[in-house]
Amino acid sequence: MMKKSLKIWAASALSLTLMAGSALADITIGVTIPTTGPGAALGIPLKNSIELWPTEIAGEKLKVIILDDAGDPSAATTNARRFANDDKVDVLMGSALTPAAIGAAGVAAEVGVPHFAISPVPPQVAKGKWSFVLPQYSTVLAKRMFARMQKDGVKRVSFIGFADSYGQQWVDELTKTGKDFGLEVVADERYARADTSVSGQVLKALAAKPDAVFIGASGTGAALPQIGVRERGFTGPVYVVSGAVTFEFLRIAGKAVENTIFSSGPVMVAEDQADDSPTKAEGLAYLKAYEGKFGPNTRTQFGSHVWDAMVILQKAVPVALKTAKPGTQEFRDALRDAIESSGPYNATHGVFQFTPEDHYGLDERGAVLLTAKDGKFMMLKD
Amino acid sequence: MAGNRHILPGALALILLAAFPLLPVPPFWITLANNIGLASLVAIGLVLLTGVGGLTSFGQAAFCGFGAYTTAVLTTAYGFSPWMTLPLSLAVGAAVAIPLGLMTVRLSGHYLPLGTIAWGLAIYYLFGRIELLGRYDGISAIPPLEIGSYRFLSGQSIFYVIWAFVILTALGAQNLLDSRVGRAIRALRGGSQAAEAFGINIERAKLTVFVFAAVVAALSGWLYAHMQRSINPTPFGLDMGITYMLMAVIGGAGYVWGAIFGASVVLILKETLQRVLPGLLDTTANFEMIVFGILLVGILQLSKEGLWPFVLKLLPRSRRSRQLAEPSSQLDKRDMPERGTPLLRIDKVRKQFGGLVAVNDVSFEIKAGEIVGLIGPNGAGKSTTFNLITGIASLSGGGVAYAGQTLSGLSPREIAKHGVARTFQHAKILPDMSVLENVALGAHLRGSAGVFRSILRLERKEEATLLTEAARQIERVGLGQYRDRPAGDLALGQIRILEIARALAADPTLLLLDEPAAGLRHGEKQELSNLLKKLRSEGVSVLLVEHDMGFVMGLVDNLVVLDFGTLIAQGKPQEVRKHPAVIAAYLGGVA
Amino acid sequence: MDATIATFLIQDGLTNGAIYALLGLAIVLVFAVTRVIFIPQGEFVAYGALTLAILDTGQVPATPKLLLCFGAVAFLLDLWSWRRSFAMRDLVKNIALNLGLPLAIYGAVLYLAPLQLPSFIRALIAVSIIAPMGLYVYRIAYRPLADASVLVLLITSVGVHLAMLGLGLIFFGPEGLRAAPLHDGSFTLGPLLVTAQSVLIYLMTILIMVGLYFFFEKTLLGKALRATAVNRLGAQLVGVRTQLTGSTAFVLAATIAAISGVLLGPITTIYYDTGFLIGLKGFVAAILGGMGSFPITAIAAIGVGMVESFASFFASNYKEIIVFGLIVPVLIWLSLGANHHEED
Repeated sequence: MMKKSLKIWAASALSLTLMAGSALADITIGVTIPTTGPGAALGIPLKNSIELWPTEIAGEKLKVIILDDAGDPSAATTNARRFANDDKVDVLMGSALTPAAIGAAGVAAEVGVPHFAISPVPPQVAKGKWSFVLPQYSTVLAKRMFARMQKDGVKRVSFIGFADSYGQQWVDELTKTGKDFGLEVVADERYARADTSVSGQVLKALAAKPDAVFIGASGTGAALPQIGVRERGFTGPVYVVSGAVTFEFLRIAGKAVENTIFSSGPVMVAEDQADDSPTKAEGLAYLKAYEGKFGPNTRTQFGSHVWDAMVILQKAVPVALKTAKPGTQEFRDALRDAIESSGPYNATHGVFQFTPEDHYGLDERGAVLLTAKDGKFMMLKD
Repeated sequence: MAGNRHILPGALALILLAAFPLLPVPPFWITLANNIGLASLVAIGLVLLTGVGGLTSFGQAAFCGFGAYTTAVLTTAYGFSPWMTLPLSLAVGAAVAIPLGLMTVRLSGHYLPLGTIAWGLAIYYLFGRIELLGRYDGISAIPPLEIGSYRFLSGQSIFYVIWAFVILTALGAQNLLDSRVGRAIRALRGGSQAAEAFGINIERAKLTVFVFAAVVAALSGWLYAHMQRSINPTPFGLDMGITYMLMAVIGGAGYVWGAIFGASVVLILKETLQRVLPGLLDTTANFEMIVFGILLVGILQLSKEGLWPFVLKLLPRSRRSRQLAEPSSQLDKRDMPERGTPLLRIDKVRKQFGGLVAVNDVSFEIKAGEIVGLIGPNGAGKSTTFNLITGIASLSGGGVAYAGQTLSGLSPREIAKHGVARTFQHAKILPDMSVLENVALGAHLRGSAGVFRSILRLERKEEATLLTEAARQIERVGLGQYRDRPAGDLALGQIRILEIARALAADPTLLLLDEPAAGLRHGEKQELSNLLKKLRSEGVSVLLVEHDMGFVMGLVDNLVVLDFGTLIAQGKPQEVRKHPAVIAAYLGGVA
Repeated sequence: MDATIATFLIQDGLTNGAIYALLGLAIVLVFAVTRVIFIPQGEFVAYGALTLAILDTGQVPATPKLLLCFGAVAFLLDLWSWRRSFAMRDLVKNIALNLGLPLAIYGAVLYLAPLQLPSFIRALIAVSIIAPMGLYVYRIAYRPLADASVLVLLITSVGVHLAMLGLGLIFFGPEGLRAAPLHDGSFTLGPLLVTAQSVLIYLMTILIMVGLYFFFEKTLLGKALRATAVNRLGAQLVGVRTQLTGSTAFVLAATIAAISGVLLGPITTIYYDTGFLIGLKGFVAAILGGMGSFPITAIAAIGVGMVESFASFFASNYKEIIVFGLIVPVLIWLSLGANHHEED
């Protein structure tokens, strides 16, 4: 009895909302990102980059809704549900922190909406039918970096990183993928972004007599150990992950970043890329638009992921439009299929080639190595 | 069931709630309603803990975490069915709460919020470090709830599950508050002395609310895990702990239904601000947090009681006085000791505060069925002697024996069990509670119903007996017309009488009255005197401190006179009156 | 671990502990005088550090503008209360304090910021922008609630904390900033490298403590504050105005917080939301000092710094758990030791 009545209730509620929402024909995109809280440094450049989006794709007007999830997975899930059920979005994007992105992916799979995760979600999530991943999965970046470390003769590595999901991901890469490159983790030290001192961690990391120090932290938070190891007189190489490739980091770390090698997506150094590089054109276009609007040297790793999403959509949407009208489930189905089939997409962060088996889509072209000098990043040619 | 006062609005709200998912509302409203339901559960726990019990906790989100992680691990890794994990999740919540509670409830005053912040943070970080719990990424693919083959996947379906739990919890909380255990919990805010003097185990009452709040938080976590179907540490951190506290306070920290209201206000406000503000201010910056902070301060400045009292004003108010159920049984009465046998022996009791001797080797005796007056100038050590007898102050030397048993060293609670009841020089009542409930507190030890029976209302018979007894004592002391009024409405003299009624409700063999006649008019003193004489005729012994000599002289069988902590005279009133030391003590101060 | 590492860790613990001590003292001060648990303390620290970092670049930070806004709100509130008296003197005072002072500071900052003054002057400017905020925050948020319960005041603090946190995000952005060192030198002491900045922190901490001691012992206002702390009602009866003592406590606390921020800014990266956790550790020290004892608070703060420093060496992944978990047994010990007093 209860079962039946519940179903009827659910059905009637659904039909009512369908009637309310079906009048729209624009393409609606819902984005949930952390514009406050610990992920704000990721969310705000993303929000800025969304302002650079075109107003229409293939003649269809674009309606974009951005909600803040403060990095909280419940909020991201709630936002995603709201997009899916109330706004009837055609595309769901977000979030920028992994746990929150996992939450959004869950909703996408539940309701059947193409979803772009703006965080390198783990493989079991990326395997889902509806979720596509925009940032490089750490392995893509790690392999490039580890190859360089091997070449530099590094064997013993001390890790200093964030005590969170991001730091954990990198220490896992170092221990698992790093083994193939002859790397051994001799210290695993963690700190929090808000810590006022990392002296203890730096001392412990250096006491293990490493060949190199590997910093797995993001944004300006990575400056603390970078300065710390140099202050303690460490002269060996320091490797820093892509999350820290920001101008704020260079500004804060100052002289301490000489001889530091950064892993990065190609967008940070679009100017330095060879002219035949598939990522150069979009990279330059993005940088021109972004820095034109927000000032010189405001580029970040994170912002251009949503630009890449637009690159993908601009190619996939026209294909999907042939089958169905936006705002319908048929359109969402068609769009999902089109994203898988319309590659490769030459974007700012690499060349995406999605297949039903691979929703990461990026290969080694999605990773470059950088050095920094005089407050600027430069591509490291090897 | 739904509270006696607001049956109509309650029923209306219930119908609205049940119909809510069927209305043509945007589906997001359902999601929001579900989130409100989950938050309400935690907030209800906080209302009991903070609003009623006076214990501040910012760590409730951690208990949600225990509930959520328990079911997540058991259902994903060990194949348990979600319903099977419900009792386990709650049990884990309780199991964590008991040791934490034992530690935390001992922390008084402002230590408490920090204690909860500290372990709230520690537990949150711990969730992110444990491999079994999926570290920072948490656990996903948690199965939904199901009944038979029906799976509660949609927001509409789980809406009913969540709100059924919310309403049951709110009713349970309401029932708990309106019971013997609930009175003990509500007594917590009035300080510990009065409660302990009537045999209430303060730490146990604190622990009870603490565990209750933790268990409902764990319930919220369990529901959350099966609604969200993936969890990680973020929702169980300090930020959420603070948000839950805000909900409870905004709603009105003393009202069970206010918790639901507070949760709704906070969550709806958050959503509205997110949607409306960017359009309003034409900016991409985030003003939500600012607006939220300012609103919070504004609401508190407007009404310290939160917003629920405003809502209550809008609801129709029943003016009927409380109907007492007919008790089915009589309360057991203590056997009175045989008149004239020694009842209380004070043997060389001594109290020193540092170098100051407040009570100096005082000895006297009270026989059963006797009224003894304890007199002396201000600062003579009378109230301290009272405190030594009732265990509130510890003896520096000497001993107190009661009907042949030693009282020295026992806690006030254990002494109360012997049938010793008292009133206080500075009246200690709970102004928000009705006169009836205040007096019923005195009968605490004459009931036995525990938390579970109270929540399920299985103790109604006992409760009716207790309340009837309380009502009888109120009539007896002549406060009958004020029975259902808040005790805070009474005049000072009446409050003293209320304290006597409360002491009588304990069915005492020995009554200790600290200045019972202060603030009474002449006629009232006469009535009090008559009452005490009547008690004596029933076999009750009385020890009273009083300054009104006329009142004392006509009443007591024996007088004990203290001066500067030392006993200077005792005996029949007429004899003591002529005693030179007494005259010197009383007149010496004047001369 | 050898002796060198140990001395490094001790130095590190001392430096952080000194900052926690300053914050702990400010928290005790505010609590004793106003019964407010001063959670927004951390925001004042962050504002101080971030204001200094922006002044270092020669730009004008947004905080003076914020000060103007705070002052304007306080002015309006005072104007509203003024309607009861219409005393000219009160109005003049209101205008001078709530409009004149912020305007003067704003003008001075506009003029001074691009001049690239020496770092100490910049630090001074940063502190004088932030310190008066304490006055206005007290006037706006707390004064109307002066008689409320500790819990209500605590929640008010949470509200102020949220609002100031949001403002910080807008003014300073999501990324962290680091100020230039006030003094760039360092010297070796045996095996130990001591930076001038850390010596400065120790000196300032001691100076502020000594200053507070003299303030409370020797000045009338200080004695009034102490009297209020011991017995609010009694102090009121003998004519101590709680508004004055409250404002003073908040200005002192904001000044101490801003100084802490200025000291901390050059040695670490400060984000708009870092202040809360730093403040929390000061709070821990204050609690260990029973929310009343200045010396015990200072010692406890150094202890917190030490535990943190050594935990970050031995078990960095569990540092927060250790720091916050350790407090619980300490609190139990405290509560078992303390006699239960009736809170009448």
